[in-house]
Amino acid sequence: MGRRKGSVLLAGLCCVAFALAGPAAAEDTIKIGAYLPMTGAVAAYGQMEWDGIQIANEIKPTVLGKKIELVLVDTKSDKIEAANAVSRLVEKEKVVGILGEAISGNSMAGNPISEAAKIVSVSPTATNPLVTQGKQYAFRACFIDPFQGEVAARFAVNELKAKTAAVIIDIAQDYCVGLANFFVKEFVKLGGKVVSTTYIQTGDQDFSAQLSSVQAAKPDIIYAPNYYTEDALMAKQARDLGINVPILTGDGAQADELIKIGGKAVEGMYFTGHFHKEAASTDLAKKYIELFEKKKNKEADAFGALAADAYFLLIEAIEKAGSTEGPKVRDAMVAIKNFAGVSGLITMQESGNPVKSMVINKVKDGKFVYVTTVNP
Amino acid sequence: MDTSTRNALCTILLLAVLAAVLYVFQKHGTEYQIRILNNMAIFITLAVSYNLVNGFCGILHLGPNAFITIGAYTSALLTMSPAEKQLSFIIEPLIWPLSVIQVPFAVSLIAGGIAATFFAFLISFPVFRVRGDYLAIVTLGFGEVVRVLCNAMQSLTNGPLGLKGLTPYTTLWWSWGVAVFTVVVITKLVNSSYGRAMKAIREDETAAKAMGVDPFKHLLLAFLVSAFFSGVAGGLLAHLITTISPTLFTFFLTFNLLIIIVVGGLGSTSGAVIAAALFAWGGEALRVVESPMNLGFITIPGIPGMRMVLFSIILMVVILFARRGIMGRSELSWDRLFTALRLQTKA
Repeated sequence: MGRRKGSVLLAGLCCVAFALAGPAAAEDTIKIGAYLPMTGAVAAYGQMEWDGIQIANEIKPTVLGKKIELVLVDTKSDKIEAANAVSRLVEKEKVVGILGEAISGNSMAGNPISEAAKIVSVSPTATNPLVTQGKQYAFRACFIDPFQGEVAARFAVNELKAKTAAVIIDIAQDYCVGLANFFVKEFVKLGGKVVSTTYIQTGDQDFSAQLSSVQAAKPDIIYAPNYYTEDALMAKQARDLGINVPILTGDGAQADELIKIGGKAVEGMYFTGHFHKEAASTDLAKKYIELFEKKKNKEADAFGALAADAYFLLIEAIEKAGSTEGPKVRDAMVAIKNFAGVSGLITMQESGNPVKSMVINKVKDGKFVYVTTVNP
Repeated sequence: MDTSTRNALCTILLLAVLAAVLYVFQKHGTEYQIRILNNMAIFITLAVSYNLVNGFCGILHLGPNAFITIGAYTSALLTMSPAEKQLSFIIEPLIWPLSVIQVPFAVSLIAGGIAATFFAFLISFPVFRVRGDYLAIVTLGFGEVVRVLCNAMQSLTNGPLGLKGLTPYTTLWWSWGVAVFTVVVITKLVNSSYGRAMKAIREDETAAKAMGVDPFKHLLLAFLVSAFFSGVAGGLLAHLITTISPTLFTFFLTFNLLIIIVVGGLGSTSGAVIAAALFAWGGEALRVVESPMNLGFITIPGIPGMRMVLFSIILMVVILFARRGIMGRSELSWDRLFTALRLQTKA
């Protein structure tokens, strides 16, 4: 057989495979679409979230007496693909609700399309405030970045009994700037005083200038809502200088690398975060964690938990609406109050952003341990 | 009827057919189909303009994503309403006068193109001092610089938050209009004396110089024209997906464009058009292989990423069987088509 014939045969086989591969759709199903970055730069997020959604689907496989059929489309971690994906879910797959995307930029590309089609979409982990801004049908299961800053302030005042704070901000990251701004606002409102504000930039190695200004101000705590590398190095240098006040930070710092780089210096560092499996208080959370660890053979993580919550919220809204019509589901979604989800109690706001409890974790003996839950 | 009249008539006929097809889709097509067609047109514009530098001048330039970014941000900042800008810029307000300006879409596209051309002009001096791999690295670096600046210049680009809420101005007429215009301009340019000089530089720069061709002048011309159309396409892209952020235009975009023009045939405008259209359509069509398949006797679960695998296989097959891409360096033209037809009838 010639080369040409061979390739023609191959092409023919491919065609046959496509022709046979019709979607296995039954009539009595309700389609829920998920668009996630399963490949590309942030594939890890997409995969963790898809795991969470699958487990959530096993826990609650039906709604309105019908079986739920999940349709997954990959976005390659790309905006153009994300917009295509939502368009496909809406037009071709005719889904009644959408889960995703994992990152904010891609959700912002997908949301205008679901908004125009009046289909509710819930992102598990898009924390950029702009994602739901001005949108009727865009929701998220996580809290937005500024909220973490507020909760951190409340924790500092109420639990750590701090009266003065030093803030160290990585100005190269909007995430850090956002957290810090809202921390300062809330901390001052609660009667605290910010005695020192210093700035660093991602990639900095030497923080002695900032730390000596902190040392002179003698704060009760340091709030440094930065990523793990900078926080680890900063903690090391702070301890070397003899600054021994507690350090409080956000979820961006909670990575294993923090402990690897920081070692003993990061012991006792506090974090505000979305989820910790020991904080699981609701029945749904216990069920989820048990099933997740049995099926997936790994620890339940925040991404999976928030994705499961996105799923549960959407199903709850459809159930409450008694219908799959977009506007009704949307109204039911906004009305959700104190829903006992995997990551705690969730109350949805008109803005599309939930009010929910936040967990505080801490480094102890080289591990992240759960400290307490701060309710809104 | 002489051949030039015949060719002109055929071209007009082809454009009319294209217009009719677009009209039908605009009227009766689903939003999804229209989106794919828009993507197709934008990728055609990008690939054809990129091909001018890489294919016709033989310069390995790896920074079109920078020009696309500049075009997209310029045009987005010009069409957004002042109210929307105020809502979006939550960390630092947008600098004056951009915060109050709002211009029509067409003006913003041209402004995007001009801004991209301006930056291309600025970097052309260092870029064309080097050749080959070094030039590739300089342009690659520029692409990264632009991305980092977009992240850092909070009061201009809204940093990593990105821009959102752009009006979806990009219709089939706009995207295909620009695509057709780009193809026409680039074809005219390539077939002019400037184009022949560019090809001469590609074949042998020293020989071209000996014949009196000024390499810098011609490379600069190609670079600027390419940057202009990349900038315009960036504006179209921004108003198609209605949101932009620094991560939209990474090196991967350049990488995709490079694949498109290599598969189409370096130095062939029609090849770039064909490959870009296939790329935009194929990416969506191949999604079938990622959904669960029921082959009757066995159900295969969907594996995300299978598209990429299949895509790579297709790429390898093309390169194996058509070593210079689909079109090589030849073009589709009416003359060729009619000659082929005549040979067919004679046989």
